[in-house]
This record gives sequence, structure tokens and C-alpha cells, in this order.
Amino acid sequence: MIQSKQVKRTNAIIYVVLTIVAMVVLYPLFFILINSFKGKFFISRDPFSIPSGETFVGVDNYINGLTKTGLLSAIGWSFFITIVSVALLILFTGMTAYYLARIKNKWTNGLYYMFVFSMIVPFQMVMFTMSSLADTFHLKNPIGMCILYLGFGAGLSVFMFAGFVKSVPIEIEEAAMIDGCNPLQTFFKVVFPIMKPTAITVAILNAMWIWNDFLLPYLVIGISTRYKTIPVVVQMLVGSNGNKDLGALMAMLVLSIIPIIIFYLTCQKYIIEGVVAGAVKG
Amino acid sequence: MKRKMLSTLLCATIVSSMLVGCGSSKEPVETPQTQGETNTTETENKENAEDETAKAEGSVYYMNFKPEVEEQWQEIAAAYTEATGVPVKVVTAASGTYEEVLKSEIAGSNAPTLFQINGPIGYNAWKDYCYDLSGTEIYEALTDKSLAITGADGGVYGIPYTVESYGIIYNDAIMQKYFEMDGAVVESVDEINNFDTFKAVVEDMQSKKEELGIEGVFASTSLLPGEDWRWHTHLANIPVYYEYSDKYATDLAQLDFSYSENFKNIFDLYINNSTCAPTLLGSKAVSDSMAEFALGQAAMVQNGNWGWSQIAGVDGNVVEEENVKFMPIYTGIEGEEEQGLCTGTENFWCVNAQASEADRQATIDFMNWLISSAEGKDMMVNKLGNAAPFSTFNEEEKPADPLAKEMFRFMENGKISVNWNFTTFPSQDFKDDFGAALLEYSNGNMTWDEVEEIVVTRWAEEKEATTGNETENETQAEETVNNEAETVAE
Amino acid sequence: MEKTLKKYFLIFTLPTLIAFSFAFIIPFIQGIYLSFCEFTTVKNAEFVGLANYKLAFSEGQGFLYSLGFTTLFTLISVVSINLLAFTLALFLTRKMKGTNVYRTIFFMPNLIGGIVLGYTWQQMINAILYQFETTLVADAKYGFWGLIILMNWQMIGYMMIIYIAGLQNVPTELIEAAKIDGATSWQTLLKVKLPMVMSSVTICVFLTLSNSFKLFDQNKALTNGAPMNKTRMLALNIYDTFYGKTGYEGVGQAKAVIFFLIVAVIALGQLSLTRRREVEH
Repeated sequence: MIQSKQVKRTNAIIYVVLTIVAMVVLYPLFFILINSFKGKFFISRDPFSIPSGETFVGVDNYINGLTKTGLLSAIGWSFFITIVSVALLILFTGMTAYYLARIKNKWTNGLYYMFVFSMIVPFQMVMFTMSSLADTFHLKNPIGMCILYLGFGAGLSVFMFAGFVKSVPIEIEEAAMIDGCNPLQTFFKVVFPIMKPTAITVAILNAMWIWNDFLLPYLVIGISTRYKTIPVVVQMLVGSNGNKDLGALMAMLVLSIIPIIIFYLTCQKYIIEGVVAGAVKG
Repeated sequence: MKRKMLSTLLCATIVSSMLVGCGSSKEPVETPQTQGETNTTETENKENAEDETAKAEGSVYYMNFKPEVEEQWQEIAAAYTEATGVPVKVVTAASGTYEEVLKSEIAGSNAPTLFQINGPIGYNAWKDYCYDLSGTEIYEALTDKSLAITGADGGVYGIPYTVESYGIIYNDAIMQKYFEMDGAVVESVDEINNFDTFKAVVEDMQSKKEELGIEGVFASTSLLPGEDWRWHTHLANIPVYYEYSDKYATDLAQLDFSYSENFKNIFDLYINNSTCAPTLLGSKAVSDSMAEFALGQAAMVQNGNWGWSQIAGVDGNVVEEENVKFMPIYTGIEGEEEQGLCTGTENFWCVNAQASEADRQATIDFMNWLISSAEGKDMMVNKLGNAAPFSTFNEEEKPADPLAKEMFRFMENGKISVNWNFTTFPSQDFKDDFGAALLEYSNGNMTWDEVEEIVVTRWAEEKEATTGNETENETQAEETVNNEAETVAE
Repeated sequence: MEKTLKKYFLIFTLPTLIAFSFAFIIPFIQGIYLSFCEFTTVKNAEFVGLANYKLAFSEGQGFLYSLGFTTLFTLISVVSINLLAFTLALFLTRKMKGTNVYRTIFFMPNLIGGIVLGYTWQQMINAILYQFETTLVADAKYGFWGLIILMNWQMIGYMMIIYIAGLQNVPTELIEAAKIDGATSWQTLLKVKLPMVMSSVTICVFLTLSNSFKLFDQNKALTNGAPMNKTRMLALNIYDTFYGKTGYEGVGQAKAVIFFLIVAVIALGQLSLTRRREVEH
């Protein structure tokens, strides 16, 4: 009895601590949310109050920000680039990893290690040469971006898929081959379906990275086209200093966070599992 | 293991060289398409119609230098496309990042066709991209040909499109209120013609700020990185101008910063008699200080005639148009009673020499339209507020905003204008470092001696880095350019 | 089976290989070569030997300062993130009700991108400092601690999830046995739980280590190096060298190679540690 009372008390303390931490975690989001409804001159003067009376400007900041930045089109392009890149990554690196795991010779081995090697190379190492290459080959557009993401994300994805394929017994595939499937059919009918859990992990990890990536789209697509992604637009809004508008900035920050939170709350289970699996294998 | 890596590398190179072939064979199909796509930022609905004209007549891509008139430029682009069918794309770089953005854009396949340099230093950096504009209509129309940037070969590479002035903008209503108070140091603005008087007035006003209904005499001295150009460039021009005059120079490889004390005089006055504490200045942007002025919270702000659009654009601004006036920046230099505003230009249009001929021609046509057609001139004067130095503009076609009027008044009242010598400041890096030092100084992390030290050493270092080793002391700016061009030719 | 599959080499690997060459192989090789060249675009490179590397370490470049700043930042954030994340993971594995809600909340910041997050915190921190009449760029220590807080805020949830997974794998029998033997909860933690989750610890330490060391977006958004580049980390230093001023691209590339080598050493360290542990088990 005594012990359970003690446990109860500890638990109560832990709840308090957890609640405080949760509030600290959520506060910045709450902070930009309330300020996004304040007039732009009141934000720096009176940042912590709830908007009311003269400080409350309704959705003015949102309208202002949207007309100024084209954030809506950026959300569209972010979705497009993320979805297409992730689809390409799963399809093509899945195939590549399968091939590399099943055919064992010095070539495939070497290639596999190249992919693994690319995982540890920081982006700064290739950013200048990659963006000039992208220009030469007319990759400065959303499709080009997806190709670059396929290439740059290939390391981790091949690594994870190959790790999985190695653990799958080869007998099932051989049976399929004997039934008259060619390797492509075997891959799509037999191997691909059992790769699903790994594919989800790969998809989640890559989607999180691509959606939030800033430097690659900033350097490759740049600020002069209409294919800007969300991080690029946010950076430009802040950088475009002649007309710095804190209200619009707050509103745009809120709008760019909303899609992520919706995505997170709906796919929470997969995201958390994916992250754990990715971390353990990566 | 090593050998395997090597062979894979080889394999990859082979694959990539195969790709080169693929890429180039695709090119003719792809190019018009991508061009069509990027050119139509503003007028997407007419994409197809424009594709045709784009191929035949070329297109214009303007890299705008001034964030404060970004929206106006977008309107102009749309209007021109409306009138002529030629696509115009305008991209604006954030303040302080023009060189950086231009550098990455101009190397790309869709490079700007029209861009801006800020004077001889800019020409030096971008001369490979500057197209010779001699003989063009716009050059012929330039009223003072000596304003243009010329190269060693006599070609015309940069054409100024506006003349501007800056000084201290004041709200006359607040000043009048002060003059009517008991014990005012002076009775009219005309009596303020040197630093000592100015300082006495400012400090007296600051002590009576409650009665005057203001939060401080000066709007906040924006020192947010990237927002500090009013100090490291415009204000710094004054000591440099006087040092150049003392030495009969138009450029110096080494700056003594002999009027450093004078810079400190006015800078201290700004930060200590402001709407906020000096330690808060690092969070302030130019738009903050313009808003403070427009809302009547401050009586003065240092800025140029381009600032009018920002003052007028603030919601709920209380300052009356007829009360917005200019006075010169006094720093305590001998003879400054006769000093006027700082007047000049750092805005030179250049046409990208490496653009296709069709695009170049389209760009030149666009410039001509801006200075000769009724619509274009209206845009130049009334939208952009440019005091355009071209013979195609008559007496009436001048910007009529209060600050432009003040600028013309100062040009005619016999005061001596201070030239814009900051176009010879060595580099953006120099300016950024100077600005950062001013921020450290106002936060109390740096002494004035240290700031001075940074200015002197960074100036010398950056001058050496940008103009090469051959610069002798006190060569003229143009000569430096010539030397440079000659060494390149050799 | 192998024979038929072998013929399908191009079909299975070509798309990935093409993209991989564009995004990685060619730029990487070019990058190494260009670090020995002076150039402004890839086409006008001129071989200059080790000059770029010498320049990279010269005083005006601030590379060593950035290295020091980055290292200090990395050390502090690795320790603080892992301590806090592990503590939270312990709390959340006590089989209490409603822990899922907390887990959901704690993990959320990790999904927000560095740029968006950096500006969010910039506004927050400035608003707080404003009450004390100062700003984020007034002193390098504000920027430094700002980055630490931001990094903790973003990464704790992530690491916590990994620790939770590790802790859940500790067999309950072991803990029960320890209790029966009269171990205090503190002793159970140190002697039973901790050794069982050492592999999670390794993973988390290296994840935080390499993420902190390579930090760019957050740094760019929060302070962009201000004041006077005193809060500029390595990645931002390299970026500035490339894009800040014409003529220093080679130096930037040389710095990038050095950066890559440091990161590679960290990664190799992780690899050998993991290998050794695998052998032990």
C-alpha cells in the first residue's frame, strides 16, 4: 500500500513535469499563432499578449502574406516535389537495391559501397558543382529537382532496401521464376509487396527530409522562378527586407507548419515507427 | 576494396559521358519550352501567345536592386507586356544580397538581361557582362554624358537612370511645435546649419519628448544585419567625401578615416536620442524606422527621397505631405554651413553582353520605352519616383512627391551637394563588416577606436583584394578601372 | 535465377545510377578536383595546388573560429539532448496513462523544417530579450544559447522515440529480478536498463553529433552568423565563402573537403563502435 502511494506521488510529479515540458514545446507554435493575428507594429512592442481591440487585425496578415509571397503555389510545389521524389525513390532504389543484393560480384559490391559512402558526404561538399551541373542539364525545374532528390536520397534508400532484401529467403523468388515470371515480374509481384514495411520507412524518412529541405531548392531552383518551395519562400519573405512585415511572416510561418501537423497527426504511427526503424538501421 | 571503388568510379564516368550525349540531343526540344515557362511569371494566362513572340523578339529579365519598389516594377513589367507583347520578368534581390543573387543568376542559362551596377567598383566586377551601349537612344538622351560609366575602350557600359538625394528627413509639424515652446534653442530650421546647433536642438527636443508627443527625436537606427546601409554606406559617405576633397582624390587605396570623430558625433547623436535604447537597434529594420516617422513617433529620420513611398505606404500615417522636409547631415566639419544634401546616383543600368542578341535588343527597347513613351515616362516618374536624367523628360515630368521637391529645391538654392563617393567603397564585405562593427559599438561590445580600426584595415584589405596589387596611392577611380582593363587585355 | 537477373542490370539500376551520377558522383569528383583550382564557374578552373587549403586556414576566413564554435555547440547539444531525451523516455515508459499524448507532442517539432523553425525561434527569443532591452544579435552568447535551445527543442523528441524503443525492449523479467534482489530504482536504471539500451545510446549520440555538426538551416535563419560572424558554424562559413564574394569559390570548395573529412571521421568512429559491439554480443 505504502509503495503504491509513493508510486502515485511520483507519477503525479512526473505528470506535472511532462505537462510543463509539453507547454514549453508547444509555446513557440502558440506564440506565432497569436501574433499572426496582430497588427505588424504591435508584434515587437507587445509580443506576449492575446490579440484584442486595436491589436487584432483578423486575417489581414494572411491575405497580405499570401499576395506578397505566393505561398500557396509554394505549398503546391512542395507537395509535388516531395510526392514525386518519394515515389521515384521507392520504385527505383527498391529495384536497384534488389539487384545489388541478389547479384554478388565486384561491380555490384562496389556500387553498393558507393551508395553507402554517399550517405556520409555533407551537402556542402557537392552543392556548388551539383547546382552548376543542374544548370547545364536543364534540371532547374521541379522535374529536375525530383531527379536530384532521387540521386541524393539514393544512398540511404538503397542501404535500407538492400538490408531488407538480404534477410528475405531467395526460394520464393526462384519459385516465381520457375512459374515463368521474368525478373521484373518477379520483383513487382513477389518482392515488392513484402518490402512494404521498409518502403514505408524509406518514404517517411525521405518525405521529412525533402519537404523541409532548404539549400538544394534554394540553389538549384533559386529565387527567380515560380517553382519555389515553402522553405525558399519563407527565407525570401524574411530576406526581402525593404518591406519587412512581421505580421505576414508570422502568418506564413503558421501556414507552412499546418500541412506538416495534419500529416503528422494522421500518419503518426507510421512516422514514429519509420523514424525508429530508420535510426536503428541507419 | 580500393580497386572496386576505382572501377565503379570509372563505370560511373562512362555512364555520365553517355548522359552528356543524351542531354545535348534533347536540348533543342527543351529550351523554348523552359523559356516560355520561366518568362511568364506575371502573365501566365497568355503563355501560348507569348511563346511565339518570345522566340521572335526576345524577352527581358530585369534584376531589380531596390526591394522598396518591387511591386512597382512588377506593375511596369505587366504594363509593358500588355503594350508590346514582350515578356518581362522582374526579380528583386533582398537588400544587401544583390551581388550574391546576381552572381548565381547570371551564371545560369536564364540569366538576367538587364541588371544594375553601383558605379566604377561594380563595373570592375561585372565588366565581362556589360554590353556597350554607345549609340543607343537611351545614351543619346542622357543629359549629362559624364554620368555614364565608360570603359577603357571608350564604350558606354552603365547608364544612370535616376538621380537621388539623401539627408535628414524631418517632420516640420513637430519642429514647429518645438520652436513655439519656451526656451527652444533656435526658432527655425534655417538656423540649424552646423553640428553644434543641431546637437543642441536634438538634445533639447529629446528632453521634451513627452511635451512634443514623440518617443524620440530620431527614428530607430536600424542595425539589423542587411538593414544597416543607411549608416555604413550613406552616412559614411560624408567623412569619406571630405577626406577625398582634402586629398584631391576620387578614390583611395588606403583610407585614414580622418573624419572618424565626425562620424561618431552624428552616430552617437542618432543612437542616444532615439525612440528606443541603443541596445535594441540590432532588431530594427529600415521599414521600422520609416514607420516610426510616418506614425509621428519620431521627428527625424536619415534617408533619401526614395523613402517617400515607404512613408506614404504606412497604414495610419499621421505625417502631412507638406511637412515632410529635408535638411543636410551635419557632422561638425569645418565649413559645413554651406553643405547641402548628398546627391548622386548608384543606379546604373547595364545590359547583359552575354545574353542572346534578340534578348539584348528587347532589353534596349524596354529601356527606351521607359524613357520615351508617355506610359513609360509616367511609370518612371510617378511609380518609381525617379528623377530621370534624360532629355526626353520635360520640366513637368519630375516626381512631385515632397522629398523630390525638396531635392530640387536644394539643387537650386546654392548649397554645395555632397557627391556620392560611396560608389568607390571597396566591397559589400567592407560595408557589412563596418555595419556589424557599428552594431557591436551600440551594444557596448566595442569601443570607437576598434570600429575605426576595422574601417581602416578592412578598407585597405578589400581595396587590395578587389583592384589587385597595381593600385597606387590616390589613383583616380577611372584610372584604376583603366589599369585593370589593360592588364586584362595584356 | 542469377543468370537471368544479371541481364536486367540496366533495367534495374539505370534510373537510379543516372540520378546518382548527377546528384552525387560527378559533383563529388568535380568537387575534389576543384578544391585544388581557382575558379568562378566550373568551366574556368585553373589548377593552383594547395593554395586554397592554405587560404582556408588564413585568419580572415574565420574557418578555425567556426570550427571551434561548431565543436563547442556540438558537445553541449549532444550532452543536453541525450540527457533530456533519455529522462523523458524513462518517464514515458512507466506504463502511466496518457503518455501517448505527450509522446505525440514531444516529437512534433522534429517535423518542422530548420528554416521555418529558425525564424519562429528568432521571433520568440527576440521578443523575450526585448523585455530586457537587448536583442539576439547583441551578443554572440545569445545566438549560441539560442541555437542550443532550438536544437534541443527540435531533436529531443526524435531521440526520445529511439530511447523509448530501446527501453521497451528491455525484458521485464530482468527488471523484476533486480527488484526482487532488492535493487533501488536508481540501481536498476544504472545496472540493468542502461547497459541494455547502449546500442540506442550509440545511435542517438551519433545522430545528434552529426546533425549538430552539420547544422545549416537553423543557423542561417536564427542569426545568419551575426554579430560579426561570431555565431557562424562551419556549414554556413562554407556557404558564405562560396556565395558571398566572387573569387573565393576554390577556398569554399577546399573548406568543404575538410568539412567532409571531419564528418567522415565521425561516421567511421560510429561504424567501428557499432562493429565492436556487434562482435561482443
